[in-house]
Amino acid sequence: MSEERWLRRSDRWSRLLLRLYPGHFREEMGQALLQTYRDRYRGAFDRRGFAGLAWIWLRALADSLRNGLGERVRPSVSWRRMDDWGRDSQLTLRRLRRAPLFAAAIVGTLTVGLGIFAVVYAAVDKVLVEPLPYESSDDLYFVWRDYGPMIDLERGWVGGPEVVALREIGGPIEDVAATAIQSVTLGGVSDGRAQEVALMEATPNLFDLLGVRPELGRGFAPGEIGPDRRPVAVLGHELWRSRFGADSSIVGSEIRLDGEPHTVIGVMGRDFQFLQNSSVGPPKQADLYRTFAYYLAEEPPMAGSFAGLIRARPGASPARVRQAVASIGRTMDEEVFDGQGVSLYPVSAKEDLVAPVRPALVVLGSAAALLVVVLLVNLGTVLLVRALQRERELAVSRALGADRLELVRATLLEGGVLGLLGGLGGALVAVWGTRVIVSLAPMDLPRRDSIAVDWQIAAVVVGTGALLGLLAGAAPASWAARARLSTMLGAVAVRGSGGGGRLRHGMVVVQVALALVLLSTGGLVLRSFERLLRVDPGFESAGVLTLRLPISETDYQDDLAMSALHERLERRFAAIPGVRAVGAVSALPLTAAASQLQVSFPGAPGNTGDEDRDQPMIDRIATRPGYFEALGIDLLAGRVFDEARPEGVQEAVIDRTLAKRFFPAGDPLGATLMYGDDPVTVIGVVEHARQYDVHRDDRPQVYLRSDYYTRRNHNLFWALRTERSPSSLAADARAAVQQVDPQLAVSDVRSMDQIVADSLRQQRVSAVLVSSLSVGALLLAGMGLAGVVAGAVTRRRPELAIRMALGAERDQLLRMILGEGMRLVLLGLLVGAPGIYLMGRVLRGVLVGVSPLDPLALGAVAIGLVLVSLATCYVPARRVSSLDPAGLLRES
Amino acid sequence: MDRERPIERFLPLRPVEFHILLSLAAGERHGYGIIQDATARIGTVAPDVGTLYRALRRMEDQGLIAEADRPPSADPTDERRNYYRITPLGVRVGQAEARRMAALTRAALVGGLLEEAVR
Repeated sequence: MSEERWLRRSDRWSRLLLRLYPGHFREEMGQALLQTYRDRYRGAFDRRGFAGLAWIWLRALADSLRNGLGERVRPSVSWRRMDDWGRDSQLTLRRLRRAPLFAAAIVGTLTVGLGIFAVVYAAVDKVLVEPLPYESSDDLYFVWRDYGPMIDLERGWVGGPEVVALREIGGPIEDVAATAIQSVTLGGVSDGRAQEVALMEATPNLFDLLGVRPELGRGFAPGEIGPDRRPVAVLGHELWRSRFGADSSIVGSEIRLDGEPHTVIGVMGRDFQFLQNSSVGPPKQADLYRTFAYYLAEEPPMAGSFAGLIRARPGASPARVRQAVASIGRTMDEEVFDGQGVSLYPVSAKEDLVAPVRPALVVLGSAAALLVVVLLVNLGTVLLVRALQRERELAVSRALGADRLELVRATLLEGGVLGLLGGLGGALVAVWGTRVIVSLAPMDLPRRDSIAVDWQIAAVVVGTGALLGLLAGAAPASWAARARLSTMLGAVAVRGSGGGGRLRHGMVVVQVALALVLLSTGGLVLRSFERLLRVDPGFESAGVLTLRLPISETDYQDDLAMSALHERLERRFAAIPGVRAVGAVSALPLTAAASQLQVSFPGAPGNTGDEDRDQPMIDRIATRPGYFEALGIDLLAGRVFDEARPEGVQEAVIDRTLAKRFFPAGDPLGATLMYGDDPVTVIGVVEHARQYDVHRDDRPQVYLRSDYYTRRNHNLFWALRTERSPSSLAADARAAVQQVDPQLAVSDVRSMDQIVADSLRQQRVSAVLVSSLSVGALLLAGMGLAGVVAGAVTRRRPELAIRMALGAERDQLLRMILGEGMRLVLLGLLVGAPGIYLMGRVLRGVLVGVSPLDPLALGAVAIGLVLVSLATCYVPARRVSSLDPAGLLRES
Repeated sequence: MDRERPIERFLPLRPVEFHILLSLAAGERHGYGIIQDATARIGTVAPDVGTLYRALRRMEDQGLIAEADRPPSADPTDERRNYYRITPLGVRVGQAEARRMAALTRAALVGGLLEEAVR
């Protein structure tokens, strides 16, 4: 018998003996052990022939019995003494350490992807999901007045007597508070600086109703309401910190609000904030609190002046609360509004606050969830490709007796470990990311400050990562478990296309489909945002600096003094070099600061005869004459106010929408507008400068001279149109105010461009987040596609070589490979198309001026996706041209 | 895998472990190379293959040795071999073991158990 034959027999003997060792040992050391035995057999045979060989056989038997069983009883490696999972995770870590680039790429991808997911998740969780920070906050409701057919106002504030009636009804309603916010000048602070602050006036039960207590001092006592008492105030934490140096001896001392002395009785805690929702414009919060200096029951019942806040009795259903509120509404409608159909209704406090941002957050949340699925499928593809590369290793392990379960554990763990690391990375990235988002987010985003990554969110993100990894690992694991040993070994032997091909292709199709949905979402949101940026809001925002100058009524007690002050200010501002026009107004565009009033045009052609329709609710805006020029609001007909105040006649400038409504064809100039009981003459028509949303007209507007109603207009915005950059003007403007009266507090110094940008913050953040989510999905899908094409080229090298040998051109092969990649892409597009429709339904509330099925945006996305895929396929496919058919054929 | 423990905790070494350290101190080796070295050193039969590989695995786990890159060799069967190298900790442990045995040998001479130093 030849030496080789004996050696082969010896090898079989060693393999048999190797079975005595436990699987983990075989997997790791089996190959080397066999080779060493081979060497020994050869050495022994060379030296002593068959006898030597036989001796080694015997020794190998004794050796394997002793060590194989010994290894089973007492593993040589400490972690072997752990259970299988612990051992396998060590193995997995080791394997990943050996492929640092692979691990880094995966963990990096997951970090970025899960980071974006975490930011969105934190925002959605904090804003939409987490309860408001008050005791049993689900029992809190805002109550609104719906004017029904009377006026076009569904979210009106309630009247004082209504609040009292609601409190008295009892039943499901435990308590009712009323609040109103106004701006006042804070004085009496040691630094002597006057500052404008937001003051919330409330019923004394506000804090008790919310279930909060001041951090220092006390809250309001039940009797502390009404006139003829010493006014008391509670400071908000931020104001206490910024203006009073967090001095805890502040309780008991005196501050001045609009010159009136108030005793500080308490300071709220850092975590307390209360957003008073508003019937128009965003919710507001206050810097400090005081109680009403009048009794609510004595307020005019018609006037809607208060935000009403209800605490329902624990366990009272929303339906019962609605019934109770509606019954009060009916009574008030009968008694106060002559049964015109005015009603009251409650809205859950949280829903009310988050309603404006809910659509955007739902879109973001869905997009983030989709991205996580893309990440999942992508990781699955990558792990599967990696498992296929390890096909040989796996096949040998299996041949050496590693059981299926072990392979499944190994691939699952690999995914799990990568996912866990990615989740950790994502949570860390999100700690920073949420800060960025909060700084970008709209100031009035409800609960903006609470958006941050806490332990709970971090745990969810890390858990999502780990779960995602495990699920992704399940794809190759299921393949490894199912693949038959013969197939695997066969595939290794011929180096041809191995198993898992269909699975991989399916995963690429899914990725492309999801990427299509996300990209369309991103495309639509971006297009909508671009529309918003280009929209004409009715004024010229570039080159305008604005600021607000609240003037204390106690310092300028009569109209003449106030008017004189305004004139002095205007002259000073106009004298600043580079200033072309100066105007003042009670409500700048996009600030939602206008007050509302009903007006009528007796005898105008547009009247319908329907009394309700003919007395629309309009925005009343008081201006000084230069305002229209300063803001660049176009004059469409007539003239604007003169410098000099005309005697004996009140003038009004109306906006385009009001003119069109009452004078559809004719000329409104000279018409008389009834403003309450005052007749006002229309002298001009101007463009509608949008008060609320940059993208749509809202209530019609009437401009009145501010000097008619000086007392009511002591709180004016100033607008300075300049040839310089508006920000460079700020210091000069402040100096000018100082020269006129050093006691005046300048606030809200912003350029008009900034006001426009601020009003688009939510859309901007959405656009940034959604487009990064969709670009992420595109990159991931590209990676998956490139991996599959590259794998196909590698695996099919022998086949390609044969084709080339048979005369196929390289271009032909390139086209073939590209074609196969693109087939997957097109399949993905088909699968994804219905997703666009579904996403479009979610998107409907968010898009402005763009249909969810906008052909331009969707077409661009589809073409872009195809082009990017083509490029991604081309790079790995090009490797076909570097094939060396002769060498390959020899190799196979 | 407690790498912080003092050198003494590793002592005494088993003969096979000491042979491994000795071999690897001279350079990187695969398993059969270590067996050949040991055979050459003591002239009798070397440690068994299973014993050797269990020890290699244990010592790698303890950080005394580490897996080394395969040398760029022409032999295709080399792909199946594991190469090892000694770590700095392994050097220190090997030296400590040698010193320990030298001290015992000296003690045996003084005590009259041995009559001359074993060469």
